[in-house]
Amino acid sequence: MPLMFRLQNNIGFIEFDQDDSKVNLLTSDVIKELDKALDNVKNNTLVHALVFISKKKDVFIAGADIKEIEKIVEPKDGMAKAKAGQDVLNKIEDLKIPTIAVVDGVALGGGCELTLACLYRVSTFNDKVRIGLPEVNLGFVPGFGGTYRLPRIVGLSEGLKMILAGKPIDSNKALRIGLFDQLFPQNGLATHVHKFVSEILAGNIKKKRYSPKKKKGLEKFLDESRLGNRLVFYKSRQSVISATKGFYPAPLKAIDVVQKNFYTNREEGLEIEARGFGELAITAISKNLVHVFYLSEEYKKLKVEGADNVAPSAIDKCGVLGAGIMGGGIAQLLSSKGIWCRLKDISYDAIGKGYQAAAKIYKQAVDKRILSKAVAQEKMAHISGTLDYSGFGNLDMVIEAVVENMDVKRKVFKELSDVVGQKTILATNTSALSVTEMAKATKDPSKVIGFHFFNPVHRMPLVEIITTPMTSTETLVASLNLVKRLGKTAIVVKDSCGFVVNRILLGYINEAGRILEEGADMQTVDKVATDFGMPMGPFTLSDEVGLDVGIKVLHILEQAFGDRFKPTVIFDSIYKKGFLGKKSGKGFYIHQKKRVPNPEVQGLLGKTAGRSFNREECEERLILIMVNEAARCLEDGIVNHASAIDVGMIFGIGFPAFREGLLKYADDLGVENIVVKLEKLESTLKAERFKPCRYLVDLKNQKNKFYQR
Amino acid sequence: MERIAIIDGVRTPFCKMGTDFNDLGAQELGRIVTRELLERTQLDPKHIDEVIFGCVGQPADAANIARVVALLAGIPQTIPAFTVHRNCASGIESAVQAEIKIKVGEGRCYLVGGTESMSNIPFYLAKTLQNQLGSLQRAKGLGARLAVMSKFFPEYLNFQKSLKIGLQLGLTDPVCGLNMGQTAEVLAKEFGITREEQDHLALVSHQRAIAGRRVLQEEIVPIIPGPKYKKVTEFDNGPRENQTMEALAKLKTVFDRYSGTVTAGNASQITDGAAAIIMMSESKAKELNVQPLGYLRASAFSGVEPNRMGIGPAHAIPKVLKKAGMRLNDIQAFEINEAFAAQVLACLKALESEKFAKDFGYEGYTGTIDRAKMNVNGGSIALGHPVGTTGTRIILTMLKHMKRNNLNIGLVSLCVGGGQGAAVILER
Repeated sequence: MPLMFRLQNNIGFIEFDQDDSKVNLLTSDVIKELDKALDNVKNNTLVHALVFISKKKDVFIAGADIKEIEKIVEPKDGMAKAKAGQDVLNKIEDLKIPTIAVVDGVALGGGCELTLACLYRVSTFNDKVRIGLPEVNLGFVPGFGGTYRLPRIVGLSEGLKMILAGKPIDSNKALRIGLFDQLFPQNGLATHVHKFVSEILAGNIKKKRYSPKKKKGLEKFLDESRLGNRLVFYKSRQSVISATKGFYPAPLKAIDVVQKNFYTNREEGLEIEARGFGELAITAISKNLVHVFYLSEEYKKLKVEGADNVAPSAIDKCGVLGAGIMGGGIAQLLSSKGIWCRLKDISYDAIGKGYQAAAKIYKQAVDKRILSKAVAQEKMAHISGTLDYSGFGNLDMVIEAVVENMDVKRKVFKELSDVVGQKTILATNTSALSVTEMAKATKDPSKVIGFHFFNPVHRMPLVEIITTPMTSTETLVASLNLVKRLGKTAIVVKDSCGFVVNRILLGYINEAGRILEEGADMQTVDKVATDFGMPMGPFTLSDEVGLDVGIKVLHILEQAFGDRFKPTVIFDSIYKKGFLGKKSGKGFYIHQKKRVPNPEVQGLLGKTAGRSFNREECEERLILIMVNEAARCLEDGIVNHASAIDVGMIFGIGFPAFREGLLKYADDLGVENIVVKLEKLESTLKAERFKPCRYLVDLKNQKNKFYQR
Repeated sequence: MERIAIIDGVRTPFCKMGTDFNDLGAQELGRIVTRELLERTQLDPKHIDEVIFGCVGQPADAANIARVVALLAGIPQTIPAFTVHRNCASGIESAVQAEIKIKVGEGRCYLVGGTESMSNIPFYLAKTLQNQLGSLQRAKGLGARLAVMSKFFPEYLNFQKSLKIGLQLGLTDPVCGLNMGQTAEVLAKEFGITREEQDHLALVSHQRAIAGRRVLQEEIVPIIPGPKYKKVTEFDNGPRENQTMEALAKLKTVFDRYSGTVTAGNASQITDGAAAIIMMSESKAKELNVQPLGYLRASAFSGVEPNRMGIGPAHAIPKVLKKAGMRLNDIQAFEINEAFAAQVLACLKALESEKFAKDFGYEGYTGTIDRAKMNVNGGSIALGHPVGTTGTRIILTMLKHMKRNNLNIGLVSLCVGGGQGAAVILER
């Protein structure tokens, strides 16, 4: 039974406890059960108050069943689904007795909405408590009355903010904004709840439904006047559009729904919400976001195959070699998770820069009140700098982030191999160089592994973990465990030039260079990419990364894979001119307060081939060159599944999630279609790089997809 | 009984008040040396039984600073820590606490040290002003508040009356009412020590500190001070390269304007810095297979008149020699803290005096200290005197000096505000 009713001292308890599961979900079956239980309560005069509580650890109700939503194909089915839930929650709201939700864990989506239908919501000091409405992240709007009730309970500004951000809040925040009425210690919760309910029944605690906390000043104006409300809606719409560039319809729909149902009665309001839910739940974007959600959940739990009985060795102390942008960022990340960090470089100036980088991130966190000053200092204290290898003898791991030069890296690995202890894992942070080559310089190559962190380290969610044929399972298990502890998503990639992300990305950037050389307008090419949904265009990205870095990686890739990675002339000439991008103030663009195209680029282009520009073709070239390269990665076996590439592209470079990932997008276009287009590009451009790789051709011949049926 | 091993130690550079370490609290200085000591020795901190730090101006925002330092430096939370205060001998006291605890079998491994940020010793409000502010806080309504505020004027705008400078209070003896410099003047007059003698000792201190830069580097942890982390501090910034007798002679006397001899030039500098050392029972050191720098042979404290506090070493030295069963001649190197040149010279004269030995029953344990063997790498006049730290610093400096020069026995001693002397004999 997913839920049980019991009566104690005239207090009814509905206890959620789904069989064979760590969490409770509000599936259609559960909703039906709940409906029955509520009918019984309604007719039972012995029940003077009703408490909703979960028997799961750290979970109230994790939400509706996404699998059910995924199956919805008709708007009317979606609407019906929402209504079914709404009706049952209305029954809770309409009970004549006080209703109390006890939230000692996560209450998301439908779980949150159930609590909103109760008159009281109480919670605990458990730091696992999270409550919120994450629906917009999955491409739809809340459907069980959340858009109607939440703004009425916490006020319009806070309510809308929670719905649009889709980010659950902790119990302290929820108490502060009036979502929770009271917090209790976890210990003795039953007694506290009992006492609370008794007080309600005795009339000592009273509450009116939909009575948000009294606000003052500007907040009062925004929440409590029509004009203020309009301003809130207007501002929210603006910020959603600027954040999503209009690619994600759900937040905009959510604003529409709230704006309509905020001023109407429950029946109409819920009708509006249900309709909105039905419209969105069937969209391709929503289905795609749901899949990306599954993917990211799957990769968060990534395990090393066949290593279930290998316990990850603890990483409590880490050396970081090189205090540059990456080294400094990695040191900060490690320290923020309580890992002791010995930061080595060749000069105190360099180490000072590493400290500065870390301190800056901590300062931002303190300014934003994410961390207290004391905690930030305590974390920062985990980093100590050194010019020699003192303190390297008892490290669990070293992450090397020195300059991207194989000779230097080999030398460093040889040195490291001599100074570290036997158990120390040696990791290199590299964006393209051969980890195997570095491993060969050490005494024990089984301890060597690669990490590809992305810049800025503290914000970018992906790490490529690179294994060589010599990397031991123990090394990989410990490394994967560390990456998870650092809060990052990992994909495991076999050592091969450029790994996955840079190999695919650089092909795209280089192709953009060729299009530019053929006479296209730089900003237009960037716009084609951003219109597709990429977070920034290829030239903007080059400037961000730095032309020097880009060129270097291209050359490395060229050596490994040949002409298709030969840097286009424009990259070389702009680099030689000293335009390195953002870091030098000038690249393809001039980076001042406002970013404007660098007029000198045009001069460097010289005579162009003068091909007429075609938007559609431009997009195809940029995207399909990536698809072809991704297929080559699979052909080479450097990752074992298309999903690893999609996770890499989404979390590594921000490939649009609403397109579900590069190869899922390719599947949507159709493999056959892609092969045809590639062949056409190959012949019209006389470019072998577009020749569909064997993997693609095989897929086509087998009438198969990247995500195989 | 087991010997008390001192394994290794480090210290920060010593920086004059208000300079490089102006923004670092004593807890931060202590944290840095503790962490660095753990890194350099690679001692697994779980071996440590307790952490003990000396600190004189204990920061209000780091109560029991030893605990704060230990936690920030990555000593496991299960390992306790406490702070000791014996004025200028606080650093010595931390080591002596470890000595005693090891001797009675309480523990076998201690991380001890001293830390002081004289830049961050606060100003206090005069009690009367505190009272007024208190009533202002309690006053309800604008009228009541205005009434309280009206009493503020005008005397509290006079900062000399309304503020008490913590540093000044700390350097003033609460029993005899003299500040430390005045106690040095007492000794200068009593022993007839001239301005020239004092200035000469100061000059030698600077010269030796400058000459000793490279060797002192062995004990120093370079620091890149936050919050800006702009530039590294690798050396003590007190020693002056071109110090001359003429320049010293030009300085005004501070504590007795008309007939005094003590100047800022022949007194120790007010300085920030921290130092830490690891101490173990000899058997623990063997178990862990670590090679100690040396051993703590004996320690002693003695009390003297508060207004003659600088004479403390002249009493503590014979006492510790007696305890160790040694003679002054056995000692191959001395560190006698230069709180004031006058006070060091007074101690030397007292120790040379047969009458002094007889008066106090020190016969056989006094004598002449060869100045060439004393403070060979400079003293606090040049290096500075972060009060809670110096005790640890001279133990560390002495052991490194003994190691470099292959000496077997050294003695360190300090005078202590409030009228005490401290002395420790170290051996290899």
